[in-house]
Amino acid sequence: MAGERSGDGGADLVVVGTGVVGCLIAEQALDAGLSVLMLEAGPRVERWRIVENYRNLPPSLRLFHWDAPYPPKPWAPHLETRHDKEAEEYLQLEGPNARAYLQGYVRYAGGATWHWAGICWRLTPEDMRLQSQFGVGRDWPFGYDVIEPYYVRAEYAMGVCGPSEPALQWPPNATRSKPYPMGPIPFGPGEHRFTEVAAKIGMRNLPAPQARNSGISYDGRPACCGNNNCFPVCPIAAKYDAATALPRIETKGGRILVNSVAYRIETDARNSIQAVHYFDSQKQSHRVTGRTFVIACNGIETPKLLLLSKDDRNARGLANSSDQVGRNMMDQPKLIADVEMREPLWTGVGPVQSSSILNTTQGTFRGRHAGAMFRMENFARSPLGAAAALKKGLVGKALDREIRRLAACTARLTVEHEILPHAENRLTLSAKRDWLGLNKPNIHYDVGDYVRRSAKEYTVPRLQRLAVALGATSFELSPEFLNSDHIMGGCIMGSDPATSVVDADCRSHDHDNLFLPGGGAMPSGTASNSTLTMAALALKAADAIVRDLQHT
Amino acid sequence: MIRRLSFVAGIAIAGIAGAAESSEESRELVKRGEYLAVASDCTACHSAPHGKPFAGGLAITTPIGTIYSTNITPSAGFGIGDYTEEEFSKALRRGVRRDGAQLYSAMPYTSYAKLTDDDVHALYAFLLHGVKPVDERPPRTELPFPLSMRASMIAWNFLFLDTKVFTPDAQESAQWNRGAYLTLGAAHCSTCHTPRGVLMQEQSSRALSGARVGPWFAPNITSDLKSGIGSWTKEELVAYLSTGRILGKTQAAGSMGEAVEHSFQHLTSSDLDAVATYVKSVPAIHDPVDDESRFHAGAAFSEVASTRGRGGTHSDSDAVPNGAELFQGNCASCHAVEGQGSKDGYYPSLFHNSATGAKNATNLVAAILYGVERSTSKGQAFMPGFGGHPTDANPLSNRDIAALANYVLVNYGSGKASITEEQVAEGRQEWPSSPLLSIVRAAMATLALLVLVGVVLTVRRAFVGR
Repeated sequence: MAGERSGDGGADLVVVGTGVVGCLIAEQALDAGLSVLMLEAGPRVERWRIVENYRNLPPSLRLFHWDAPYPPKPWAPHLETRHDKEAEEYLQLEGPNARAYLQGYVRYAGGATWHWAGICWRLTPEDMRLQSQFGVGRDWPFGYDVIEPYYVRAEYAMGVCGPSEPALQWPPNATRSKPYPMGPIPFGPGEHRFTEVAAKIGMRNLPAPQARNSGISYDGRPACCGNNNCFPVCPIAAKYDAATALPRIETKGGRILVNSVAYRIETDARNSIQAVHYFDSQKQSHRVTGRTFVIACNGIETPKLLLLSKDDRNARGLANSSDQVGRNMMDQPKLIADVEMREPLWTGVGPVQSSSILNTTQGTFRGRHAGAMFRMENFARSPLGAAAALKKGLVGKALDREIRRLAACTARLTVEHEILPHAENRLTLSAKRDWLGLNKPNIHYDVGDYVRRSAKEYTVPRLQRLAVALGATSFELSPEFLNSDHIMGGCIMGSDPATSVVDADCRSHDHDNLFLPGGGAMPSGTASNSTLTMAALALKAADAIVRDLQHT
Repeated sequence: MIRRLSFVAGIAIAGIAGAAESSEESRELVKRGEYLAVASDCTACHSAPHGKPFAGGLAITTPIGTIYSTNITPSAGFGIGDYTEEEFSKALRRGVRRDGAQLYSAMPYTSYAKLTDDDVHALYAFLLHGVKPVDERPPRTELPFPLSMRASMIAWNFLFLDTKVFTPDAQESAQWNRGAYLTLGAAHCSTCHTPRGVLMQEQSSRALSGARVGPWFAPNITSDLKSGIGSWTKEELVAYLSTGRILGKTQAAGSMGEAVEHSFQHLTSSDLDAVATYVKSVPAIHDPVDDESRFHAGAAFSEVASTRGRGGTHSDSDAVPNGAELFQGNCASCHAVEGQGSKDGYYPSLFHNSATGAKNATNLVAAILYGVERSTSKGQAFMPGFGGHPTDANPLSNRDIAALANYVLVNYGSGKASITEEQVAEGRQEWPSSPLLSIVRAAMATLALLVLVGVVLTVRRAFVGR
């Protein structure tokens, strides 16, 4: 490209993206003595600034607008939801369930773990064998026994707290090779009550393993003190987020270039990757070379970058000889029910999420409809209660009483469904372009009959029973499926290069030195949160990368 | 083969112990030695973080360079396995190694000189028979010339080492005497709390009146009501030593946090009572700058009611933040919006707190730079550092730390903004640079010149005389 600046030295390993996946791989490579260069599209911002951004928001934006404290840079746009029109700006969504793919993620150094809840469920052995067990979806190219040690490493890398009693652990009947590094976060009053009530109708509410320090420090980060705003930001870094890894990566010699938007991956005559091109904030282009490349930009930006990088040898985009890049887009389609009860429940003590019901994710019914995870959200209800009480026109003591009642006697119940990988749920390049002139992502999304059947026959009736058991006097169900922000599938893993994008190490079938680890590689979405599995896949890829580079 | 070797070793150990005393007595002796080792906090320096117990290797930064602690396990080649009791005693109480070389006074042998022969005997028994040998050699200490000449310590010892074992004061109670023995000897309180002179010697005329310890300040613990801890009850002092804190007054951090964790919390309550009795009696030394006690300054304060919502949202950190923003964004999540701490006291209040109330704000800066970590039977006290160490999740610049600390001082503490960016930078260096090296070098040059002049004069006189 004319006027392009080459340089920045290059490195053994070039990692695009500084989220949990990129940071875990970078640190493994640095520990193995390799040189690492990381590219981050967005800015690097101090935690206190984001905390202050959050607290300075108007009350109407403090809840459910997790993107609001993270204003994007013009060159690194992400979803903003302050109003409906704004939500249409970046992600171009279409299809029957477009609303269910309104994915929130942060293009900031540290990535979307800035505003994750920290929940770290493992997959079950069955979750990895949907096709062979239930005749739906896809099987993983390896079994639970292969991923188990990587789960342990991921749990120790992020500092996951969880119960030591096998009866409270997930998956059931699968042995852990090592206990959780920390004991569980204690339940708040709402969770105690919810657990008792759910048990009466056969639903087991388990303490959630979470990347959050319980009672003691871990890796120099303090114990959780219950600020109850894990999203949009943990103000004290008691919850793991990848931003906390950045100083350590730099201490180990890793270089991090922020405000550097990768827009093209360059192949050589052997179809290996030889460089990544990126724009800086002045729209100046640069080129960095390396021996191995990791694209760790989560499930939307990674396929987008692969499609943007098409060249003469790879006419459909990089890593895309199977035509599967950008297909099989998954997330857990979510339904929420806001309920009001006679008795106080008092959610809000401890983290925003701290427990879930998972026995409903498993069963032979998965041949017919989706399994699903149920949860009571544990965020403090006082801002919602205050807004609702004010709307009623109350003042003085009556206002105080009503705020208190609404904060105590309301709750949100959530159900997240597993979705199957469908080729038609597809990310393509939109004709609309962003500030840099790069195509915006366009996603067609239909949750499918598998999920709709589950909602109708299985989950909504259970939500209603849960509400009744809690003594609900009102039950308001979301009118359509919503996003869960767990982006999966766009670079799907498999052993057959004709039907999948990456192999069991998240290495591209088409390019020997290109790795695409993370949620995009997951062959099954399942009903549980994806981050721990993304982290495990990152560590598995890191082993392969280090093996490669140390032997060549 | 391995089994046979360990069998032989087993016989050897049994042989030594058996020759000296009956096994019951020797077990008791080793146990008493272990208690004394805890009271002397040997592990603070002689065990490195994540290292094996007593295997040394801890890097101790001092104003004159880095000193590495030694291996004091019973390993023959690497530790003190070859030491006779007499040689051990000489190292402990005189600062002389088995090979005759001098120890640097980072080893508090000036305090341990007070230990009785009986206690030295017990310590020796513990270190030789109660500790696992570790065959590892810690890094060598290499100080700049002329301090690299360990013999220079001979002169220092001649000037500053009091070799007298502790002698009880017949005028005082047994409890007071026990406390004095522990405070002045094993617990070596003066090592940190007594200011040092230009040759790094403790200034006994200002005993326990406060001194800099790396980035921290070991405060005045004399009985002065305003400068010292004269306002504490004896019970408070005991509680402080066993838990590292007094709610609404103070908390231990830095090396005092370590002393509580590794040493004081394990002492018997009668020994803690004794230490408290003695320390309460230490003559008051008043610093005229202290117009009020450091434990009672400040009050709850917040200005969020007028500022919240006005700051907007920013995607940069490069704006110059004010102290209020830095306080709310970095401190208030734990220490609460008005600085009052948490109801259960886990997070201390920032007012009525010696770290913010002291005229000398060294410890406030150090707490922000290095955080606090202290584990006792009451659990862990932990505050993350903001100083940019590899595991500090939220590093702050010198400018921001100065602005933040001054905001805290003005609104919650002593009332006066006194911290400069340079002071924060100095805190990051751990020690302010010491004049000692240049003084010693200048003294040596002067001495050399005098000798030269002397020689010249003598030679001239000889010539003239002839």
